[in-house]
Amino acid sequence: MISDPLTVITIVPLAVSLVLLILPKISGSAEGLARASRAISMGVSLAMLAITTMIFFGEIGNVDWTDYNSGYSLTNDAFALIPSIGVHWKVGADALSFPMIWLTTLLIPISMLVEWDAKRGHLFHPLILMMEGALIGVFVSLDVFVFYAFWELTLVPMFFLIMVWGGDDRKYASMKFFIYTFTASVIMLIGILVMYFYTPDVASSGTITGHSFDMAVMISSSDYIPSEGLRHLVWILLLIGFATKMPSFPVHTWLPDAHVQAPTAGSMLLAGVMLKMGAYGFLRIAVSAFPESTVAFIPLLIFLGMASLVYGAWVCMGQTNLKRMVAYSSVSHMGLIFLGIATMQPLGIAGALFMMFAHGIISPLLFAVAGAFKHHYHTLEIGSMRGIAHHSPWLAAHMMLGWMASLGLPLLAGFVAEVTILIAFWMSFGWLVLLPALTLIITAVYYLTSMQRTIFESNDPHQGKLPDTLHGEEPRDITWHENSGMIILGVFTIIFGIFPFIFWDMMSEWSSGFLIDTLVEAMQSEGVKP
Amino acid sequence: MTSVGNLQLSSDMASSLLPEMIMLLGLIAIVVIPNLGDAKFRIPLTSVRVPVLLGGSRFDLTNDPRMPNRISNITFAIAFISSLMLISEPSKELGGVLMADGFSRLFSTMFLGALLLVSIATTHRLPAKVNARIPEESDSEAVFDRKISVLINNRRQVDFYILLIMVGLGMSMMAMATNLFMLIVCIELASLSTYVLVAFHKEASSGGEAGAKYFIVGSVASAIGIYGMSLLYLWAGSLDLDILREKWQLMDGVDPFAAFGIGMMLVAFGFKVSAAPFHLAAPDAYSGAASQVSGLLATASKAMGFLALFRVLVMITVPDGSEALWMVTLGIFAILTMTWGNLAALTSENPKRMLAYSSVAHAGYMLAGIAVVGSGITGTNESSIILTAVTFHLVVLVLFKLGAFLVLTLLETEGSGHKMEHLHGLGRRDPLIAGSMFLFVLSLAGVPPLSGFLSKLLMINGIVSSSAGTGISSSEDILSWAESVDPMFWLAGAIVLNSALSLFYYLRVGLVMFFEEPVVDRPLKTAPSLRMAIFVCAILTVLCGIGPVSEWILDLVNGAIDSLMYE
Repeated sequence: MISDPLTVITIVPLAVSLVLLILPKISGSAEGLARASRAISMGVSLAMLAITTMIFFGEIGNVDWTDYNSGYSLTNDAFALIPSIGVHWKVGADALSFPMIWLTTLLIPISMLVEWDAKRGHLFHPLILMMEGALIGVFVSLDVFVFYAFWELTLVPMFFLIMVWGGDDRKYASMKFFIYTFTASVIMLIGILVMYFYTPDVASSGTITGHSFDMAVMISSSDYIPSEGLRHLVWILLLIGFATKMPSFPVHTWLPDAHVQAPTAGSMLLAGVMLKMGAYGFLRIAVSAFPESTVAFIPLLIFLGMASLVYGAWVCMGQTNLKRMVAYSSVSHMGLIFLGIATMQPLGIAGALFMMFAHGIISPLLFAVAGAFKHHYHTLEIGSMRGIAHHSPWLAAHMMLGWMASLGLPLLAGFVAEVTILIAFWMSFGWLVLLPALTLIITAVYYLTSMQRTIFESNDPHQGKLPDTLHGEEPRDITWHENSGMIILGVFTIIFGIFPFIFWDMMSEWSSGFLIDTLVEAMQSEGVKP
Repeated sequence: MTSVGNLQLSSDMASSLLPEMIMLLGLIAIVVIPNLGDAKFRIPLTSVRVPVLLGGSRFDLTNDPRMPNRISNITFAIAFISSLMLISEPSKELGGVLMADGFSRLFSTMFLGALLLVSIATTHRLPAKVNARIPEESDSEAVFDRKISVLINNRRQVDFYILLIMVGLGMSMMAMATNLFMLIVCIELASLSTYVLVAFHKEASSGGEAGAKYFIVGSVASAIGIYGMSLLYLWAGSLDLDILREKWQLMDGVDPFAAFGIGMMLVAFGFKVSAAPFHLAAPDAYSGAASQVSGLLATASKAMGFLALFRVLVMITVPDGSEALWMVTLGIFAILTMTWGNLAALTSENPKRMLAYSSVAHAGYMLAGIAVVGSGITGTNESSIILTAVTFHLVVLVLFKLGAFLVLTLLETEGSGHKMEHLHGLGRRDPLIAGSMFLFVLSLAGVPPLSGFLSKLLMINGIVSSSAGTGISSSEDILSWAESVDPMFWLAGAIVLNSALSLFYYLRVGLVMFFEEPVVDRPLKTAPSLRMAIFVCAILTVLCGIGPVSEWILDLVNGAIDSLMYE
């Protein structure tokens, strides 16, 4: 139906958003366009969702996602962007990237919906649309240069979202966000360049440098890097870039600030998709190219994962700010992804992939709840507002669902991911599994206390306690668009909790295939049991 | 066909000197046209009056003080296009001292492009008042003085553009010179004009000071260079580059005359490219001059210095397959230059000085490339990549370095632009201009996929593939690997580290533009043609980094380098 759907879903949002942002600036007669830009953005993002959903159901491209051996699907004919240095426009998706692509196209319209009444909507919604193009570009590009360009491009709309629509301390937060992630990606770029200089000459005819940025060629370059020390160094450089994005302890400190200050839609996308870019890039480039280094550094991965998990959860218990607590819980959950990869089990890696997906559904719900809370009660302090079940039963219900999903209640999406990672961890490391398992108790503690204090606890059983920031006004109930956005997310949380196999099958196939193809050899040579 | 000494003028030759001819015509036009009037000459003893056009009261059209600007814009535009058309022409020897080939035409196209942008930008930087009033007896003294100064300013227009065209002529001829004497004369023609252009910023006292400083240091550097040239003449008996090269290859050991001659010329060209330690006048000159002139110095004038380095160092003194004499010196200069430039830029509170120091740093990156070519470890292929990278960098530098200076020019039209504070809140005052400025600094920092990255990548690639290839593949740990690479490899390391260092001050520009509150919260001046120049630079900065345009330019540059190396 559409010959090159992945290019379409990348380029169309970017092009439309640029037109919507720039045209009204240049010509005064385009004011009508500015007024319609909110509707146009929503329309385009829904169309993109329709395309990815049709890809999933096989209407477009007729792809069997559970077949690992078919490699990348929906690829295009490589179009030379800078042939002299071997840069091509080459896209494709597999079971690693497709769930992320679908998730992106799902979250974009929902986050637009939740902030449907944002101030200066003629800029806000196009920026989110630009975010969509950049995020999808990261997941689909099969050229490391283009991957990196999109990786950096995601910073631009997010930076402006935080800086223009953020909270009181937005200046500091957006600056910190930009500098932190930009520095990390420059470090990553150095690693990428070292790989580039070692790419073999064979596949890159027509370049004047004799190297290529093609993902497949780049990944094979590790065979050509002569020294093991250099390979480890490059792996570390890449890890710094990806771990900062994820974010993992100890480079996570930008995240709470960015989240607390970001507008609701910004937080939703940041937690929902942007953090997953780190895990995606780590698997796609670092692990694929340097399986030996990955195996050699398993203890480091376990340390980082455990530290993020425990530290994130521990800090959550002390938080009084709702959004900050949710942000630290993201750090904690991202730690599980490293643990899942470190198990070197098909189940563990598939669990990590499902964690990426499930957290991508649940955490936007959490941030939507926190955003609605801020919007209607003008505060994010956990003890200042009590008994919202009285005022806003819908918000209380969403909060409960989200909180329960995030702490891993069975039959909700988060449970599947957590339990598979823990099983795989047990298979690899035996009783050490008690460490992450016991941390989940901490998770339960902070979620349940915060929920109890905000939803239920009240001095008067029939009346909630309103925060001072409302100055005695009666709070409004959540608006229809916030409510419907949260309902959609809640429904998907339940759907993927009860029917995880919708995406689980392709993820587990991919994980076992990936493990056999790239990691087994390295594990044998390093003497690690599979 | 007419002949002047050895130089023979034919229509064929005129066509390959077309851009220079156009500039010469423009020069004549800029002198003649504003003086056209209705003067008539009465033939003696009759009452017949013949119009002679020169003098009398001028026509409305020719009296327009914006006329010189228009003539110069048109001249540069036509010369630029004709030079662009000539790039792919076969190379042609002209009179034994000039050589019109792809390489020289590429450079002259680049010079003319930069001059065209500067000329367009000056429309609003030195605004001409259309209906300047003539002072009258009844005016008060203050009004009288103001009217006079407006009139004088309007007359200054002509001087500025005449100098600009002279710069263009000098640079464009210099690109073609194959004789050292011709080379120096053309450089001096261009340099003397730029000294005056630097001092042209009369509104501030710093302008005159900067011009004087630049002139004095520049003429000392030139004198040293000319002395070096005379030593070379003593040694070889000729100043022809081909003869010098042959002589150098046949040379047994190192002849002191030749070595000192080359070394002294290195000083002169080092000043032109503002390499440390000869760069000290550059930041003062850049910050004292009007911004578009600083931009010209940082791009075209610097490229002129590099062109001279290509001609003299790379073409004369690189013997095949062995180390060149100046390799170590130049490598050390390169590292010194980039580090000094970046460290000084970090602490600059004046955006013009910051850009000046960043231009010093960029000179360091390019010198590093040339040093590696001289180290003799590169094969022909790698040399060609490195020289392509340096040339491509010089070409795209016109876009983003000049673009950044043009943004400052726009700020200067409202009297600011020489303090970091003046950039504060630019993002709020004018998002498109601030966005372009951010693009320029990112490209200067070398962030992919902008054009600044492409050139840096090519350069590092050339250095790495020629030096790290010697690494022994069996070395397991990182230290033994590091010992096994050629020392030249660390030049690439220095470039990477310095680029990382430079990010701090480049990103700072972005931060103050988008975060700080504006000092004055009024919109910037409209200045349509200046804005257009800025947007052209911004769009091309992106297009030259990725996509077919970048490929086209790289092909041009690569072809030009080939024509230089295998002429």
